[in-house]
Amino acid sequence: MTFIPFFILLFCAVPIALVLALTSLWYIWTSGNAVLFDSYPQQLFSAIDSYGLMAIPLFMLAGELMNEGGLTSRLINMSRILVGGFRGGLAYINLVANMMMAAIMGSAASQIAIMSRAMVPAMEKEGYDSAYAAAITAAGGLLSPIIPPSMLFVLYGVLAQVPIAEMFIAGILPGIIMSFLFFLVIAVIGLVQQYPKGEWPSRKQSVEFFLMGLPAGLIPVVIIGGILTGLATPTESAALASLGALLIGKYVYKDLELNHLPEILKRTALNSGMVVMLISAAGVFGWVVVYEQLPQAAAGWIAQQTSDPFTFLLMVIGVLILIGMVLDGIAALILVVPILLPIAQQQFGISPYQFGVVVCLTLVMGLLTPPVGAGLFIGSSMTGVPPMKIFRSLMPFLFATLVTLVLLAAIPELVTALI
Amino acid sequence: KEFKLGLITPPSHDWTKAAYAFADEVKAKSDGEHSVAVYPARQLGNEAEMVQQLQTGALDMAFLTVAEISNRVPDFGALYAPYLVDNIDQAASLLKSDAARSLLDQLPAEVGLVGIGYGMAGMRQVLSRDTAAGPADLSGRKLRITPFEPIRDFYLDVGAAPVPLPLPEVYDALANGQIDAIDMDFDSMLIFKFYERADNLLISNHMMFPMVGVVSGRVWKGLTPAERELLQTSMREQLDAVIDHFQAKEKDQEKQLRAQNIKIREAGEQDFAEAINQWEATWSEKAKSLGKLRQAAAEIKGS
Amino acid sequence: MLQKLSDGLARLEIGLAAVLAAAVTLLILLNILTRAVGMAIYWVDELAIYAMIWSTFLATSVVLKQRDAITVTILIDKLGERGRYWMSLFADLMVLLFALILLVLCWRWMDPPTLIANGFNIKAFQAETFNFIYSEKTNTLGMLKIWPWLIVPLFSISLTVHSLNNLALKIFSIPIYRSARA
Ligand code: NA
Ligand code: NA
Repeated sequence: MTFIPFFILLFCAVPIALVLALTSLWYIWTSGNAVLFDSYPQQLFSAIDSYGLMAIPLFMLAGELMNEGGLTSRLINMSRILVGGFRGGLAYINLVANMMMAAIMGSAASQIAIMSRAMVPAMEKEGYDSAYAAAITAAGGLLSPIIPPSMLFVLYGVLAQVPIAEMFIAGILPGIIMSFLFFLVIAVIGLVQQYPKGEWPSRKQSVEFFLMGLPAGLIPVVIIGGILTGLATPTESAALASLGALLIGKYVYKDLELNHLPEILKRTALNSGMVVMLISAAGVFGWVVVYEQLPQAAAGWIAQQTSDPFTFLLMVIGVLILIGMVLDGIAALILVVPILLPIAQQQFGISPYQFGVVVCLTLVMGLLTPPVGAGLFIGSSMTGVPPMKIFRSLMPFLFATLVTLVLLAAIPELVTALI
Repeated sequence: KEFKLGLITPPSHDWTKAAYAFADEVKAKSDGEHSVAVYPARQLGNEAEMVQQLQTGALDMAFLTVAEISNRVPDFGALYAPYLVDNIDQAASLLKSDAARSLLDQLPAEVGLVGIGYGMAGMRQVLSRDTAAGPADLSGRKLRITPFEPIRDFYLDVGAAPVPLPLPEVYDALANGQIDAIDMDFDSMLIFKFYERADNLLISNHMMFPMVGVVSGRVWKGLTPAERELLQTSMREQLDAVIDHFQAKEKDQEKQLRAQNIKIREAGEQDFAEAINQWEATWSEKAKSLGKLRQAAAEIKGS
Repeated sequence: MLQKLSDGLARLEIGLAAVLAAAVTLLILLNILTRAVGMAIYWVDELAIYAMIWSTFLATSVVLKQRDAITVTILIDKLGERGRYWMSLFADLMVLLFALILLVLCWRWMDPPTLIANGFNIKAFQAETFNFIYSEKTNTLGMLKIWPWLIVPLFSISLTVHSLNNLALKIFSIPIYRSARA
């Protein structure tokens, strides 16, 4: 019943944050728990009263400054030296750049926002289909919460009471497997669709690209250095990245004009505001749904269907893909882990690390699945390509992610070997 | 009737287990007429949000840290007086005493909650990256605390720089030196393996960490005397069990930590005398029950 | 008149949201700096989070006014001009509906009539209503929580203005649309 108004609102082009907010209200009304109305405005506020969420505006600003200051374009030029000559060179560059970014950023949403703005125009200019360009960028964003650091793993670590550092290590092998499969997908698509042949830069150009790229390459060094030396937390390092991008864009490349700052800040506020409000509405929706014990009931049902850990994990993946269609990563994780983890550990003897990586990766996939997929929408609003077109180009990448998931469910060592 | 009980601890934590035991008992004792749905791991929100939902009646019951209560009713800060008790056994006796229980009488008027009784977690200790033998070593150190006033004042009086870092960030922050030390109980140190990143343990037992079981004041008004009695006795029983449990396992946890490759020092009330005096000067004003509690504690220590 | 109010309000909101976005970054940098020199400030994180929340609500109000929010457009893209008009009118109506419901819920939440009736005596208000929002305090800033919370009712008021304005523009645009077709 809840889902009827949900789908009506959704397909009638009502803003998605309001679809969730209004559905929650509808649900409170029909469930007869009118008392929840009195907590509603406060829930809207407290769903985003969270330290970790600050990474979103911080990284958005860093990305804006990197683009305006000419840092991203020089980083892209620098990676031409490495893979520029291959067929579909820029597609590989996109993925490599995303892997590097994933080692810096903790959230898929902000990574997709930044990388779409940086990579997609460049790829379009070289003759790539814009939907395909947006799809590679969005898929690359999936690496963000798997390759450490990861906001989702941090949250899982707290919910499951496992050390976060070990959770990060658990993500390394799966991240590599996933990157490898994505490379395969790009190679195959490149061959089938005859993507633009790459062009190796001349020796003189290479030297120039390398030297020009060096200062921009300092940013990741600043970030990782800041975290390793204890200067800043991963969240705070995003602010350092903004400062670095500002200084390099202004004083080294001299591309950044200070009178553009107000416009940059307005764009940052609008784009991150949109994403954070979506999280607020998803938080309220999750709160109402949990209050009515819907996910609890679903979990109980799964546990009764099988006694084999692999089958159980496959079912969890299936159910989470469904949940991931309508709920976003963080909200869904909070709903699901407290219910499913005890069952996984006690009834099936599954390692909390394996379970955590499988659950997080499945939920991350939900960022890119319709009807509600923040990653899809962010990619779309940054590039102007309709979400469903991006989704169609994304299919092969989502399939590769699914293959990764089945591997992880079947072979626990892929997760636990490095711990 | 179906009641809802919320708390912040994850499913494996002793508080959550007690909540489930309470739910089972209510169901059994009422022959299935009443049931309790447990919402662990802040599924319904953090403690501040749960308090608000208790006030509107959306949530029926909760297990809350007294820290959350003391942010609203300063008198509860008295329970965090440094060296109010010297060890976990005294903490257990004090929390079951009339002096402590009488504090709960203020809850209905001040925050709209009915306090049923206390549970607790382990005694607070200090885990530090560098040698920490006593308060002198903590001076100027960045020390992570759960943010509430009594504990912040205590560390300010010690001369440390208390920092309110979210729990998920603590492990990394200790690893890279963003913070120098943490205030925590044995239980959490073991669960999150913080000793891997900070290998100087100061066993100070400087503070106890009580929890309180509450029922929404609005909901309470609508219950029959028999229902009240049922909830009260069942919840008290489980809260007492939580106290007994932490009391029993503290020794064992200390042993586990001593078996790790870490340096252990001990400190007591006399080492912190100066800080205690300063703390007392501010809090004897704010928390009127402090004298009464100190007296009850003295009787426990004397016996 | 309504148009002027809505446009002016939006300019104010986007300006403030931008300033707050800058404030979040500066506060975090301040945090890094003060901790590095051993003078950690206790309340910076909490203030930064509130700045982010305010910025979010202010920006959302503008985004919704500009009809720039993220939406699913599969269906609307397939419709003709007339269908698109009615569907976007429906979407605008839903924004107004949300704004009005939130306004009512905020009114119930903050309960100004009872507060005034009790002469702003918080204790008496609490005893009468079991509503404790006026004595709730923030964790580290030592400020009353009602001040950061105030953004929610402000948002509901501003969104009401914007969505009324959008709706009015849309309805009065019908003749224009017809003449454009003819
Ligand atoms: Na990452
Ligand atoms: Na989705």
